[in-house]
Amino acid sequence: MLYALTTEELMQRPDLWEAVHRLRHRIFVEEMGWRDIDRGDGLEIDQFDHEEAVHHVVIRNGEVAGYQRMLPTTRPHLLTEVLTDLFVDEPPSGENVWELTRYAVAPGFRDGRRGVSTVGTELIAGFVEWGLPRGVNQVIIEFEPMWVLRALQLHFLARPLGYQRTYGRQQVVATLLTFNERTLEVVRERRAHHAPVLSRGYPDIIGQRQAS
Amino acid sequence: MGHFDRTLAYISDLQQADTPDAIAEKLLGVTSAFGLTALMAGTVPQPGTPTGRQKDHVLLCDWPVEWLERYVARNYVDHDPIVSRMKQLQAPFQWRDASEIKVDHDGEVVMGDAGEFKLKDGLAFPLVTLDGQIVMVSLGGEQVEMSGLEFGMISLVSTYAIGRAMQLLTAEGRVIDHIELTPRERECLKWAAEGKSEWEISQILGISEHTSEKHLLNAKFKLGAVNRVQAVAEAIRRGYI
Repeated sequence: MLYALTTEELMQRPDLWEAVHRLRHRIFVEEMGWRDIDRGDGLEIDQFDHEEAVHHVVIRNGEVAGYQRMLPTTRPHLLTEVLTDLFVDEPPSGENVWELTRYAVAPGFRDGRRGVSTVGTELIAGFVEWGLPRGVNQVIIEFEPMWVLRALQLHFLARPLGYQRTYGRQQVVATLLTFNERTLEVVRERRAHHAPVLSRGYPDIIGQRQAS
Repeated sequence: MGHFDRTLAYISDLQQADTPDAIAEKLLGVTSAFGLTALMAGTVPQPGTPTGRQKDHVLLCDWPVEWLERYVARNYVDHDPIVSRMKQLQAPFQWRDASEIKVDHDGEVVMGDAGEFKLKDGLAFPLVTLDGQIVMVSLGGEQVEMSGLEFGMISLVSTYAIGRAMQLLTAEGRVIDHIELTPRERECLKWAAEGKSEWEISQILGISEHTSEKHLLNAKFKLGAVNRVQAVAEAIRRGYI
């Protein structure tokens, strides 16, 4: 299940808060090698973990299996502050446009395949499901060009916001994805899972495996 | 129109294509300016796939027919240095760089034969689909010239072309039907419907000509129109103006 929590809500659950920032460190500092965001304490936190950020956390078996952070474009966000060479002209912004950052699937949940794992597609289903009732129908994502193909396969309408750049070993292109109810249907069909993924409330204490 | 706006226009155009042939034609229309005149894209057959089945893996193809026949008949796919490079790498590369690394005798034969068919250099890259299938994309020609920026642009536009081809493949290749125009885009379209030029629209709305051009281009992109006239017609049909 996927939980959408504000930064304040996340901080009310220290176990979850720590697990989230540990996962981010593990993926983005250790795995991707983004040394400039290494704080030295094994927790990745930046200036965009502010009160308007929304954290999407996928829980499987009492563990944080996936994560993504949604940022409103009505205030400074990664594209406008940090990844400024990824757009040409004015980047889109507004109440209906959010930026998706720090998309991460924990190593134990990647299904050992090249394709997108079930946690990965749950995150995708999650942001579409979360966005639609809030009047959010567009997200900006800075991802590898490879993802353009996957986004199109899921019937997002995609448009690049600038040229692709190489950061370290990674190629990145800022892309605007537009979605609607039909996109949600396609995502659910591809997952062969039609029930909503978004849960209310909080998950159980992290690290306590559910008996199954 | 700026370089990037042109890229957007190409991509929007590709998203209109209704058949794999139309996609291939539009993509080559873009890339032939850089000497890339032949195109092949498909999923990777496992080594030893019966030659008769190899064609089933093709997504987009505008490749010299005789070359394709020879390629299949002689089972070149198992020896092609471009193909093996694609299996190792995630990023786009130029053919000439792949042949620099290590090419065995069979590989040399493949590249030499390709040259006979006016395929001397090109660009290639692998893509991974949602379900983990590898799609190989290769564009080639006799005299290939492109800058780093153009290289990036071509690989990005090609990725959109493959995405479109995969949408068509999944039978229900419908693109999103709901379109949201900004108030400015709508205003520009309204004046365009009145027959005003971009310059006139900019004067009426008190914006620069570049900005009004930009609004119309965005509206055209969102409406999936090939030109201004179709954008206006589509906006009227949908009741947006």
